[in-house]
Amino acid sequence: MKNDATSPKELRGPDYWRSLDHLTASPKFQQWAEREFPETVLGAPDGKSRRDFMKIMGASFLLGGMGLTGCRRPEEALVPFSKMPHHYTHGVAQYFATSMPVRNSAIPLLVKSSDGRPTKVEGNPDVGECGGGTDSFAQASLLNLYDPDRSRYFLKSGKKSNLGDAEKNLAEISNKHKSDSGRGLHFLVQSTSSPSRIRLEKLIKKSMPEAKWCVYDPIDFEGASRGYSEVFGRSIRPIYHFDKAKVIFSLDCDFLGTEQDSSAHIYGYTKGRKVTDGDDGLATTNRLYSVESMMSLTGSNADHRFRVTSNQVFGVAAAMMDKCFEALGSSDEDAGSPIPALRTSLRDKSKEIPEHRSKTGWSAKWIEESVQDLIAHKGNCLIVAGQRQPDAVHQLVAAMNTLLGNVDKTISFIDREQHDAITIEELKLACDAEEVETLVILDGNPVYDAPADLDWKTAQRKAKHVIRLGYYEDETSQDVDWHLPMTHYLESWGDNRSSKGFWLPVQPLIAPLFKGFSEIELLSRLAGQTDTKGYEIARSTLRAIIGDSDFEAQWKQCLHDGHHESLKTQIVSLNVQAFDWSKLTLQIGEAITEEAQFTQASKDVLEVVFHRDASMDDGRFHNNGWMQECPDPITKITWDNAILMSRRTAVELGDLKNEELIEVNLEGRKLTGPVWIQPGYADFSLGMALGYGRPSPGRVGSLGDRSVGYNAYSLRGTTSKNFTVGGTVKRLNKTFPLACTQDHWSMEGRAIVREANLENYETKRDFAQNMDLEAHSAHIPHDADGQPKQIYKHPYTASPETKSEIHQWGMAIDLNTCVGCTACVVACQSENNIPIVGKDEVANSREMHWVRIDRYYSGEPAKRSQSDNLVHDDQQAYEEWIDDVQVVHMPMSCQHCESAPCESVCPVNATVHDHEGLNVMAYNRCVGTRYCSNNCAYKVRRFNYFDYNKRPLDKLDRGPWKTFVTEGFADRPQDEVNLVEMAKNPDVTVRMRGVMEKCTYCTQKIEAAKIAQKIKARDSGDIEVPDGTIKAACQEACPADSVSFGNLLDPNSKVSIAKRSPRNYSVLGFLDTKPRTTYLAKLRNPNEKMPDYFKMPLSTLEYKREMGSPFESHEHHTHEDSHGDHGHNETHASEDSGKGGQH
Amino acid sequence: MDSNSVSSSVKIAAPPKELEREPLVLNNRPPSWITNQVVGIIEGNTPRWWWVTFIFSALVTLLVPIYVGYLISTGVGVWGLNSPIAWGWAIVNFVFWIGIGHAGTLISAVLFLLRQKWRTSINRAAEAMTIFAVMCAGIFPGIHVGRIWYAWWLFPLPNSNGPIWPQFRSPLLWDVFAVSTYFTVSFLFWYMGLIPDLATIRDRCKSFFSKFFYGLFSLGWTGSNRHWRNYEKAYLLLAGLSTPLVLSVHSIVSFDFAVSQVPGWHTTIFPPYFVAGAIFSGFGMVLTLMIPLRSIFNLHDLLTKRHIDLMCKVVLATGTIVGYAYGMEFFIAWYGGNPYEAYCFQNRAFGPYWWAYWIMISCNVITPQFFWVKKFRNNVILVWILSIFVNIGMWFERFVIVVSSLHRDYIPANWSYYSPTKVDVLTFVGTFGLFMVLFLLFIRFLPLIAISEVKGVTNYADPHHPQGGAKGGHH
Repeated sequence: MKNDATSPKELRGPDYWRSLDHLTASPKFQQWAEREFPETVLGAPDGKSRRDFMKIMGASFLLGGMGLTGCRRPEEALVPFSKMPHHYTHGVAQYFATSMPVRNSAIPLLVKSSDGRPTKVEGNPDVGECGGGTDSFAQASLLNLYDPDRSRYFLKSGKKSNLGDAEKNLAEISNKHKSDSGRGLHFLVQSTSSPSRIRLEKLIKKSMPEAKWCVYDPIDFEGASRGYSEVFGRSIRPIYHFDKAKVIFSLDCDFLGTEQDSSAHIYGYTKGRKVTDGDDGLATTNRLYSVESMMSLTGSNADHRFRVTSNQVFGVAAAMMDKCFEALGSSDEDAGSPIPALRTSLRDKSKEIPEHRSKTGWSAKWIEESVQDLIAHKGNCLIVAGQRQPDAVHQLVAAMNTLLGNVDKTISFIDREQHDAITIEELKLACDAEEVETLVILDGNPVYDAPADLDWKTAQRKAKHVIRLGYYEDETSQDVDWHLPMTHYLESWGDNRSSKGFWLPVQPLIAPLFKGFSEIELLSRLAGQTDTKGYEIARSTLRAIIGDSDFEAQWKQCLHDGHHESLKTQIVSLNVQAFDWSKLTLQIGEAITEEAQFTQASKDVLEVVFHRDASMDDGRFHNNGWMQECPDPITKITWDNAILMSRRTAVELGDLKNEELIEVNLEGRKLTGPVWIQPGYADFSLGMALGYGRPSPGRVGSLGDRSVGYNAYSLRGTTSKNFTVGGTVKRLNKTFPLACTQDHWSMEGRAIVREANLENYETKRDFAQNMDLEAHSAHIPHDADGQPKQIYKHPYTASPETKSEIHQWGMAIDLNTCVGCTACVVACQSENNIPIVGKDEVANSREMHWVRIDRYYSGEPAKRSQSDNLVHDDQQAYEEWIDDVQVVHMPMSCQHCESAPCESVCPVNATVHDHEGLNVMAYNRCVGTRYCSNNCAYKVRRFNYFDYNKRPLDKLDRGPWKTFVTEGFADRPQDEVNLVEMAKNPDVTVRMRGVMEKCTYCTQKIEAAKIAQKIKARDSGDIEVPDGTIKAACQEACPADSVSFGNLLDPNSKVSIAKRSPRNYSVLGFLDTKPRTTYLAKLRNPNEKMPDYFKMPLSTLEYKREMGSPFESHEHHTHEDSHGDHGHNETHASEDSGKGGQH
Repeated sequence: MDSNSVSSSVKIAAPPKELEREPLVLNNRPPSWITNQVVGIIEGNTPRWWWVTFIFSALVTLLVPIYVGYLISTGVGVWGLNSPIAWGWAIVNFVFWIGIGHAGTLISAVLFLLRQKWRTSINRAAEAMTIFAVMCAGIFPGIHVGRIWYAWWLFPLPNSNGPIWPQFRSPLLWDVFAVSTYFTVSFLFWYMGLIPDLATIRDRCKSFFSKFFYGLFSLGWTGSNRHWRNYEKAYLLLAGLSTPLVLSVHSIVSFDFAVSQVPGWHTTIFPPYFVAGAIFSGFGMVLTLMIPLRSIFNLHDLLTKRHIDLMCKVVLATGTIVGYAYGMEFFIAWYGGNPYEAYCFQNRAFGPYWWAYWIMISCNVITPQFFWVKKFRNNVILVWILSIFVNIGMWFERFVIVVSSLHRDYIPANWSYYSPTKVDVLTFVGTFGLFMVLFLLFIRFLPLIAISEVKGVTNYADPHHPQGGAKGGHH
């Protein structure tokens, strides 16, 4: 447009005037407008001229300036993007599909990026593996990215070097070994699923054929694959379809907890666990049997559980196999068949099973009946064996699954990459023989976690040249020629395959925070490749699989979706006839001879079981505060591992006390750790979690001046990688405090978790409501609508104008599918910026988790006396009822009561109700009287007793004398703060000390969704957020899909449907707090033929002892129940009237 | 002058010996003797024991600023609190001191209205004790909040935040009003009662500073008829005003617990039971303080065994009410049929905090039963020892209520155990130092017995008594 400067008037917009005087430009107006302060009626005050005013103001400015020179606005550089990134709006989070590599598997993820940094890990629901759920490791992996102790520098013999020199060195090695075809080149790697790494390994093998690969995983998850491969004569990996199995049998297999891919397993298992109506109209669900030594998550969820030491599991498997043959395998027993020989050896082996210590001793019957149940569900049952079990057990399981017709039904197979790798023992021999020219250690931490008898530290140094790629400068990096920093998966390109065979991309969300390589970037350099960028490597690998045509589009699609449907590895169809019985017979025979040395465990020769920890994995999360503070799902211990044992073991070893330090001797090695008596543990078995007690821990893993926990690797030898018998114990007469988040074990017969057997449920579907306290109270008057009469009006009834008619939020948690995995706990911590508080604070019950998982044990009421529930919590470990227990898990967070007791007692209005039913906390208003916490029946409010975000965990209680005078400010080091701050969710505030906090139903997500919906609605007025849009962090992470959250005003929302279930109940509903979070009662599906069958779940029996049976119907109750309170009937009458209108 | 000779000369109106009440001032001490005896304490040299106790108490008091400073700079975490026990020693101490602060106003107001003349010998010291105890109590609710610098939000002050007012449904807010009103009225009452006595000191003292200060605070009192008329009207009014406060303040403190829904707190018996307990502990403390003072300052004629006997009877009565309340709590817990409630009380007596419960029962229920026997009531040393047990027992009562109810409430997964830290204990010890410092200053500078009021209950003030009226001329 032409801009004519000479005629500015023509460019003016429409004229506006202040008054008619203005328009007419009257002199009066002109005069008024020209005054400096036209609004003031008065002129300058008497005696003060304009000049005086200027003088006074000048002096004031001068004084102000001298006195307040420190006060000025902070300088902030606003640097705009010179080029706006695509699809980016400041403050609006973006999500990218990626995947987290876990040994030979991977977890598909969607990661939230807030202004260019990843802030939250979520599952990718598009990859049908775990329905969008994750495990706690994936959630916590985010914090590893921002770990201030991660490796930041290239180190040459311990001295800082740079990327260029490192690359030069790698090129030299590559050239050297290309010329001598790889002689003396050894790789020590962990197993992987990455197609790119496998491709690069093949390339290296091609150009350096003599290079040796050693795959060492401190925790080996390949047992099942080896077992199946062996007997089917083909390298295969099993895929379990827990959702299709009606009966699941676990042999020391914690598939819901510490096994690999637990989130996928939980997803499948809970799908089958959901209560549905069968063809006959009766409710059905799957049934889980568990045989194990530890009390695992799987065992805690089992309908029948048999505790035996881990070395007796082989015997149980043998007995089961024998029973299977008896029922199914007779046709194979023709002449020349290996089976009769096999059966003989199986019978020998099965004699080792100990009798159950009950009066009747039911072990044989237990196995017999459970196998009968499996046989009755031929083709839709599933047997799984645990990672710790020897290959022979996995082979037996393969045989049983084959016999039971489960192959291709509840279990299928994919091809498994054949590895001609050497073991770490062989590598150690090579090192000792000084055959190792160059040793390349990728990730892992063998100095810490290799079998103790290998003395790996010395062996490793015997290699001439050691190159180590590591995420931390850990024990292994101490004495190497080159330490190269490794990049996190959230900052590198790559690819993975999930355990079910999906191709998954690894896509970075941020440029590497510190320079470094990923595994594939390092290998490509060693292979002498020209493309050394992870991006190109991953693309080349994919290009090789899907071909050139339309590659770019497909690549983009893969990155967008996080997987590629056509890239799913084909399911192998196996010929069941190919099952090699003679091989099995041979292997089992050998195993039995070998196993013969395994003696029965007793108090003099104890079994020692090394297990993967639910928080540390194999030690890779040692410096991760979220995981250190995440309570173990069973023991609820944080910040430590303990030596777990049964009550009887502790008693027979001389009344060992909890937290007492003992020294365990095994094969000449010693270890000191604290005792923890664990209900439901096998007798004479000691459980030791791996991954703790690193010799040179980081800041989090050291907690001041010592490492967290004891190092179980120091006891573990080549022959005792998983478990072994032969441990002895010495008392040290010292104690070591443990920080356990739940001191009390029993629910004391209270109706908190409500559960029933399936057949009880048939008789009374709404049994859960029948366990309300009102159901047992006499003479409760009822309103016309059947509700108990209340003195106080419901707040929304009293003032309906405060209630939103569009949204009313609520949550329902299905206790039947919740397995207690704790993924929600870590997810909530990540989403809501919840601080970690350290061991001492947890030990004093000050943990901050907004959602916690309560775990209760229940035992036979007959074994408990009435006064047992009054003892100090230290004494419960010696009560007999804890030997064989049933376990329940219950996620507990703010219940968002409609009549919230916390709100009425807060003197400053800091916790109030909003119009959509949330109980909200105004942190800025909170003065911290803690009255709300006292008055909360659920005790879900968390108080910031110290400045957890600002102070180092070991100096939380440092007083002013030390802080200001002797030691300087107690704030955390700046590098720590800078990095940890990046992990914070920008949508949620960080709370200071003295403030109460609690679950908000992820109010930031609700608000975001409401805003988005309002924008979408525009003039249509449809501002109701559609169901499923908002997922609370706990719900998002839950692999069991136990949590439903949504709008209660929408009758078709998932949560409304869940709340209509007859199993729906409120915890402590009798308090009339009207919680918005309700629970769906748990159901057990025991087999009544089993010797450990109880007519009701044990916790319900405990409840019945206190309050009477909840399953008796109305009529039944009046006639027979001696409990005889009439209020019970009244409640029922009103319920009936609600349904049939009879009364 | 020999007063006995006067009484022996006039025998007509005297009642028979066996019907005669034990006099409130023994040995028929004349008003001048009373003045000399009480003011003499202030006028005499400062005794050495006073300096020793004062310096020791002042040093103990230093614990308060030290540990409160540590608390404020570092966080409430320096105490032993946790989840579920979010209130601990701070609240226990608060209720304990408020309870102590009950006796003074009860003695001066309620007993005044009930024409209990024996109150005159003890009311001054008891009121001082009340004020100092409420000051000690007032420390705790202030410092127990997480963000002390915002504690003023509990007051309904105009502000720019909305404005947001306090939440009037919260018992903590009621506390703010109840305690501050109680303190103000008690202080005014105490000060007003002091005025005639301050004037007496003013008239007697010699140094310029004493004259100035006592003169300043006696507000120009001349003892004229008009002054006395106004004084007595005001005294009656303030007594009337204080009487409901005696009942309200501890009722409202009890609402902190009773209004909540925690088993063991949520009981309707709390208000009367707390008031009875407070009177119980208040009288316990009065006995603890007055018995030594009586010997030290040779006040046996003013603070007679009859006074002690009467206080013991109050202790017995209120202690028994408290014991009844303990029993009734258990009965209701059983009769109410609420399993959570029932468990709470079983747990109190036999759970992990059983020791605290049984200390409470032995001190509060068993101790006062000794006072059924007159012989024990007249054994001053025994009474003094038992009064200390009453104090201990009442501290434990608050501990039992606060901690044992919270530590095992509805959901067993939350159950935990609470132990105080060094900071908890030493802050409490420090408040005892503060209390002692204030009390020692009081006995050094102010008349610890209400001179004018005691004179008013002697025979000399009784116009119908042969010694009374203007006849004696002893003033």
